[in-house]
Amino acid sequence: MRAYIAKRVAMTVPTLLLVSIAVFVLMRLVPGDPAQLMLGDQGDPAQLDQLRRAMGLDRSLPVQYLIWLRNVAHGDLGRSLANDLPVLPLLVERFQVTAGIVLVAVAIAASIAVPAGLLAAWRQNSLADLAIVAGSTLLLSVPSFWFGLLLLLLFGVKLGWLPVIGYVPFVEDPWRALQYTILPVVTLALIESGVITRMARASTIEVLRLEYITHARAKGVPESGVLWRHALPNAFAPTWTLIGLILGNLLGGIAVVETVFTLPGLGRLLVDAIFARDYPVVQGCMLLAILVYVLVNLVIDLLYPLFDPRVTAE
Amino acid sequence: MRHWMTAAVAATALIAAAAGDVWAQAGTIRVRLNSDIRSTDPGTNRDENTDAVVQHMIEGLVAFKEDATVGPMLAEKIAVSEDATTYTFTLRDGVTFHNGAKLTADDVVWAWKRYADPATKWRCAPDFDGRGLMKVTGVEAKDPRTVVFALAKPSALFLTVMARVDCGSTGIYHRDSVGPDGKWVQPIGTGPFKLGEWKRGEYVELLRNTAYAARPGRRDGYTGNKTPLVDRLRFVVIPDAAAAKAALLSGSVDLLPDTNNADAAELRKRPEVAVHETQTMSMSGILFQTKDPQVGDVRLRKAILAALDTTEIVKAVTEGEARPNASPIPTASPFHTAAHQAVPKQDLALAKKLLAEAGYKGQAIKIVATKRYPTSFDTAVLAQAMMQAAGINAEIEVLDWATMLDKYSKGDYQMMSFLYSARLDPALSFEMITGPKATQPRKVWDNPEAIAMIQDALAVGDRAKRQAIFDQLYARFQADRPMIVLYNGMETGVTRKQVKGYASFVIGVPRLWGVSIE
Amino acid sequence: MRLRGNALLGGMLMALLAAVALLATVWTPVAPLMPNLRARLHPPSPAFLLGTDEFGRDVLSRIMAGTATSTLVALLTVAFAVTAGAALGLLAGYARGWTDRALMAVNDALLAFPGILLALGLMAVIGPNKYGIVLALGLAYAPSVVRVVRATVMSVREREFVEASRSMGNSEVYTVLRHVLPNCIAPLTVLATSMFGWVVLAESALSFLGLGVPPPAPTWGNMLSAARPYMETAPWLSIAPGACIALTLLGVNLLGDALRDRLDPRMAAA
Repeated sequence: MRAYIAKRVAMTVPTLLLVSIAVFVLMRLVPGDPAQLMLGDQGDPAQLDQLRRAMGLDRSLPVQYLIWLRNVAHGDLGRSLANDLPVLPLLVERFQVTAGIVLVAVAIAASIAVPAGLLAAWRQNSLADLAIVAGSTLLLSVPSFWFGLLLLLLFGVKLGWLPVIGYVPFVEDPWRALQYTILPVVTLALIESGVITRMARASTIEVLRLEYITHARAKGVPESGVLWRHALPNAFAPTWTLIGLILGNLLGGIAVVETVFTLPGLGRLLVDAIFARDYPVVQGCMLLAILVYVLVNLVIDLLYPLFDPRVTAE
Repeated sequence: MRHWMTAAVAATALIAAAAGDVWAQAGTIRVRLNSDIRSTDPGTNRDENTDAVVQHMIEGLVAFKEDATVGPMLAEKIAVSEDATTYTFTLRDGVTFHNGAKLTADDVVWAWKRYADPATKWRCAPDFDGRGLMKVTGVEAKDPRTVVFALAKPSALFLTVMARVDCGSTGIYHRDSVGPDGKWVQPIGTGPFKLGEWKRGEYVELLRNTAYAARPGRRDGYTGNKTPLVDRLRFVVIPDAAAAKAALLSGSVDLLPDTNNADAAELRKRPEVAVHETQTMSMSGILFQTKDPQVGDVRLRKAILAALDTTEIVKAVTEGEARPNASPIPTASPFHTAAHQAVPKQDLALAKKLLAEAGYKGQAIKIVATKRYPTSFDTAVLAQAMMQAAGINAEIEVLDWATMLDKYSKGDYQMMSFLYSARLDPALSFEMITGPKATQPRKVWDNPEAIAMIQDALAVGDRAKRQAIFDQLYARFQADRPMIVLYNGMETGVTRKQVKGYASFVIGVPRLWGVSIE
Repeated sequence: MRLRGNALLGGMLMALLAAVALLATVWTPVAPLMPNLRARLHPPSPAFLLGTDEFGRDVLSRIMAGTATSTLVALLTVAFAVTAGAALGLLAGYARGWTDRALMAVNDALLAFPGILLALGLMAVIGPNKYGIVLALGLAYAPSVVRVVRATVMSVREREFVEASRSMGNSEVYTVLRHVLPNCIAPLTVLATSMFGWVVLAESALSFLGLGVPPPAPTWGNMLSAARPYMETAPWLSIAPGACIALTLLGVNLLGDALRDRLDPRMAAA
């Protein structure tokens, strides 16, 4: 087990290197640089050169990359070019915001969507199934920012029940933290529950058709027992993988939600850093995003046997 | 599913109702910033937001007044020698820093030395060390209340540049603002507010300077009476404009210092807010690349101008808020005289005639614009339509701001819908667009005679002589037509009704002294 | 019965979409880019069925033109992702060994790469136009195609009919194209259908962040994001493109479900 984990983690190193080079090259191919942005319409060539030198942007690209890589190897992700803050603490702080919201949202989504999917599959072609399929398909069809904005307009502006912007960490003031994060969490949870419901329904239908379920029914196991003890564990496996994919990929998607709700999260940080050409921050965000993706997938894979007896059996 | 939705809505309502009004605190004014500040070190790592916040904490010897001329701030009076090369500043009595230390001439000399040190990377250092506009040859403290600056040769702009907001107003800070290692720690200035907490990416909080020594009289631009009336200022970072508007309407912030025109038009109708606007000295217009094979032909440039109904464009993109102005001299400048007031009229016949003369055969002409500044994009959309109506095959290319700025710096465009930040002297307004493209590709107007005239205007102090130079420059500008000036920007601040005493300002950054909240 | 009804509804929505897209290439009520400063922000009326936007442009015409652009972007992206993904997936699954490992390493890297950065980078390199988006989103979605195809190839590679083709002296390339590829068509069709929906959504999200198909050429995504400041004062501006996105996604999903039921052998018994 330990060897397997070590191997999986080691396998991410080439991926990380590959991505870091790609990010580096891609960012430098994009026109515009932070020195220009700082000087705006007033920068004369001499000032620009001076500022670029101060930022270390005058060296050749391979040299810049190697310097960065060497520092990363020593655990130093550099400093933001925009506000001179060390990148690592910045990432950690922003990641906490994003991770908190995403985890809660996905947990809520899963705890609604999995039973809903199960119910729909169990009562396939009934009115309840129709309603659940229609509902989840609709949720799947709405752009997340559109949905978030509607909630914001309704609860924040029209009704004035919730604050429109801002963020308080949960550890500082749980009550207020809840008020600030409830809308983004609901937005994400509803959007994601559409996908998860459909997956749960499809995989349950598939499992319900398998022979052992028929056997179980034939042996007189009550329907609820069939559903909870036999169908659910098996049907949950693909759903579990999907949840992993959602968790791993949310960084890109959540930028939109973080923008709508003005949350200081990682997605927003990445998008802002891209527009500000803040190279060290972009590179740091990417490293973190990929690490998260890889780790989440690893955890999902390790827990997979818990949900799929067929895998354990092999 | 439906049950669950109802439950969620009910839960939301419950939490919200119990919360009450915890986020409205008395004695605090919350101001929106569209991005975080870059540092608290004046005039170095900065942008407009940084300037706005820093201006509340530090003050310079001089500052801009309401009419964009320069007046004394920390100085009681300023004496200029006969030959205009020596400036003697007498400091006001009784001014203290945030740490309680008394302001002395030595502090001014110390701060100036730090500004002049290349390691500080003060953006305005080149303007004072002989590379740019002027050369300061010496600064000394004659006595505890007197500082003398010596210049190599006379300049009309010494005090103007010193007061510039992007130079940090050359604000005087205490030597403890800098750590033992020479690194900036935090501003210990003389301003009406001092730094509280800077929570990166979220907010900057400033606290009232209870020992603030105000000038007598009324608030006057960045000088005059700057008494703080609230305990706390909180500058909240809200990048998204729609979210900011929602925040204002729901009472999560009290002031949006700069709203876009569309939002301003909407907010004007809401009873719970008040709109404050003023014409600023920034300049919006359409640049031509005069080295381009097509728009390099002045006849084509004039044809494009004739094709545009500039008055209509300005009316539409600013929701009727701004006045059209075709001259590089801002309307708010006292030098914007009769000669600068005419606005060109749309003339399609003239456009067609000029196009024929230029031998234009329907080649595509690209207008570069950015969505970062909505008016840049809006202007391009309208210009494109009007050009097409006149038979010019115009296209639009929309870029993100950094990319567009890169193209601007390299002169890599045919036409560009651009915004210039404020220049507070007409000579600087012309200088900003004029220069040799060979060494400064960002310059729009490359005309050696014009460059020479601007140099004259920078050195001459006599008002009438300067006016004559500017009028001549404008005539040449129209003949060469290197760009189409459309209008000077509007600063539209929107406050909740509880905020009293706020006013937008021609320089274009918010001022929160003399402002209270009920 | 229900499934057939769903498929019918889905098919009708998609047919409507195709018809509007085709019509828009030859005719719209008004030129979609033509501003009319005397008719700004008009609510829906007989003259402007869906109202006008902040430049006085006809929303109906823009929706039609946007349909053409959005559909084209989605189709091209799917075509690109499927073609590139299938080719690489076949190669990886069939070649095995180092080729497979190297391809999968790149594939994993791409899977983990946030699409936003890819989009910005490629838009900058190619130039800000719809083809930049196609390439960026295509690259973002191709890895999932690679995975599906590779898995299918692995599962049939050693089966009798493939062995038989080889032993009959057919070339490897012929064997792959004639016998292995057809097995991938069913899962690919299902994947491509969902992908069409994802691309429509992704384009609107990118537009929202300022990285989508650049205006003034309309797409649903950039119309929706441009409508944000007017959500309260001119709701028709956001309702029309929002509804188009939702209806298209609905059509795609319904059609996709029907296709899955038809094509996925495990589901065929239903």
